[in-house]
Amino acid sequence: MSAQLALNIQLKDTATFDNFFAGENEALLNALREGTETSFYFWSATGDGKTHLLQALCHEAVNRHIQPAYIPLNTPEFTPAILDGLEHFDLVCLDDIQSVIGNDDWEQALFHLYNRIQEQGHRLIISANTAPANLDVRLPDLLSRLSWGLVYQLQSLNDEQKQQVLQQSAQARGMMLNDEVAVYLLKHCPRDMNSLFMLLEKLDRASLQAQRKLTIPFVRQYI
Amino acid sequence: MPQVFWEKCLTQLERDLSPQQFNTWIRPIQANYKDNEILLLAPNQFVLDWIKDKYLSTISSLIDTLSDNRITVLLDIGSQDVASYSEDSKKTAKEPDSRKTTINRNRKNSSLNPNFTFDTFIEGKSNQLGRAASIQVAENPGHGYNPLLLYGGVGLGKTHLMHAVGNMILRLNPNANVVYLHSERFVAEMVKALQHGSIDNFKRYYRSVDALLVDDIQFFAGKEQSQEEFFHTFNTLIEQNHQIVMTCDRYPKEVVGLEERLKSRFGWGLPVAIEPPELETRVAIIKSKASHSGVDLPNEVAFFIAKRIRSNIRELEGALRRVIANSQFTGHAITLDFVKDALRDLLIIQDRQLTIDNIQKTVAEYYKIRVADLLSKRRNRSITRPRQIAMTLCKELTNHSLPEIGDAFGGRDHTTVLHACKKIKELRETEVGMDEDFSNLIRILST
Repeated sequence: MSAQLALNIQLKDTATFDNFFAGENEALLNALREGTETSFYFWSATGDGKTHLLQALCHEAVNRHIQPAYIPLNTPEFTPAILDGLEHFDLVCLDDIQSVIGNDDWEQALFHLYNRIQEQGHRLIISANTAPANLDVRLPDLLSRLSWGLVYQLQSLNDEQKQQVLQQSAQARGMMLNDEVAVYLLKHCPRDMNSLFMLLEKLDRASLQAQRKLTIPFVRQYI
Repeated sequence: MPQVFWEKCLTQLERDLSPQQFNTWIRPIQANYKDNEILLLAPNQFVLDWIKDKYLSTISSLIDTLSDNRITVLLDIGSQDVASYSEDSKKTAKEPDSRKTTINRNRKNSSLNPNFTFDTFIEGKSNQLGRAASIQVAENPGHGYNPLLLYGGVGLGKTHLMHAVGNMILRLNPNANVVYLHSERFVAEMVKALQHGSIDNFKRYYRSVDALLVDDIQFFAGKEQSQEEFFHTFNTLIEQNHQIVMTCDRYPKEVVGLEERLKSRFGWGLPVAIEPPELETRVAIIKSKASHSGVDLPNEVAFFIAKRIRSNIRELEGALRRVIANSQFTGHAITLDFVKDALRDLLIIQDRQLTIDNIQKTVAEYYKIRVADLLSKRRNRSITRPRQIAMTLCKELTNHSLPEIGDAFGGRDHTTVLHACKKIKELRETEVGMDEDFSNLIRILST
């Protein structure tokens, strides 16, 4: 008998604050959600949930009748012209700012956007993969502004916390991921949350297709 | 009503697109409705083109399937305040560009930040002269130093002083027409005025103000047409004894891409350098900022932060904000240990940069010599001075012992290090160039 076809429906977890595991980032989260500073900068390694947090913030903003704009700067097709007029939004989220740092046109455009947002009294939220001082910003005016508002490092989760997140996320998908298998995954796979979530996605489809539970011999085929 | 269809369309798109796509392209769209028309407003040309290219046909066909009548979907650039989003605003939203270029002459608000006054400006050796000159200008606009030019590195308080001048002029003469703007806005407004044939209004407006405060004039560099226009504005205002205040990140003569005639005019009045604040001033600044936020900052904490963060005031304020936010969130008193913990990730970065190696490398680059020269036995002055400066910086900026520092400079004795520190101290007091070099290096090392 052929393997059962999994329905081609991708369940998208809407990124919210409820499904973000705070870990040691309580203070950051509070400042991000409740803060009023013009600029908020936070950084961490890839896969720690920066994009998730920015999406969650946009989601929450809409519920509070605040108009957000979200710009993933790591999109190669973008030019600085995408920043024009963004100051009219109450909340502007710039994801992965490191992608455009070092380019004079982008840096100037960011600097001017910062000033315009400040004049409007709106909010600018920036994510990056490193602290402002390590970004190699060429325009000192921009660098000093990035450090002006609140700057936080998003702390990575430790392995126990990651295990917990994985298990919760699996449960939300209707999968049972027991301790033994979860620990196995964390020992044998890249441990950034992006990779782990992608793996979970893969396991979800595979287990549906094969109609098997998640056991070590089963998951081993997919990692 | 087309509104219903647009909202349904949004719900559908949110389901179909990834959250990232939806948040980037669809959510920022503002919609306006007329009988059989939906006008979608994108914030700029780039977003408009992108939507047109990738989403417009999907949106149109979605709307088509949702409604019985034929509804046209139009796309334009513009924005409107969500709060003021109403039937009345339709008209302005439909003509977004003409609305933006109309220079609002009767704007009560001159873009001045009311918090930037002389009272909230902390004076120290580094900015004494700038403050005094600014007060004189504010008390007697157009008749003292004109133009007043404040120059210096980023985040040292130039903009604060400039706003303080504007605020004081307004306080003494509430009818004065004071305009503060960043040079980039001058350029942007001029470009728009040219596009919309309203350049005469633009010229008239800026040539009629009583005081024009222009921030960061170095951004005029390379923009010839803006320089030309600013040149004429400048001349007209000065002739009429109207005050001009400008800031620049360096002495204007050093700005590449600025016309000579502008450079020379900028130097007509009084150019004043604003220097990085010394420790005591940084402590006073941070204590004052804290007390404005209703926080009583213990001295040892203020000294700790001011010692560790030396590059500019913005970064100092950033650190303070972080401390206050954490303390309010956790309810913890602001003690030295608490601050060390709260600023841990910020301070680690600072520590990482300030190694002897790093200082040697930076000094060598600054003087265009090799690190090997610094460590060598060579004793001609072009090498010994940088070497002495590097030793002094190591003593001031790291926690290494003097023998360790001497050792790191080609195995020299600790008394050599001591001698270098004494020598540099002397030279800084007698030679302007030396003091400047030293300050520059500290700034480079601590940003």
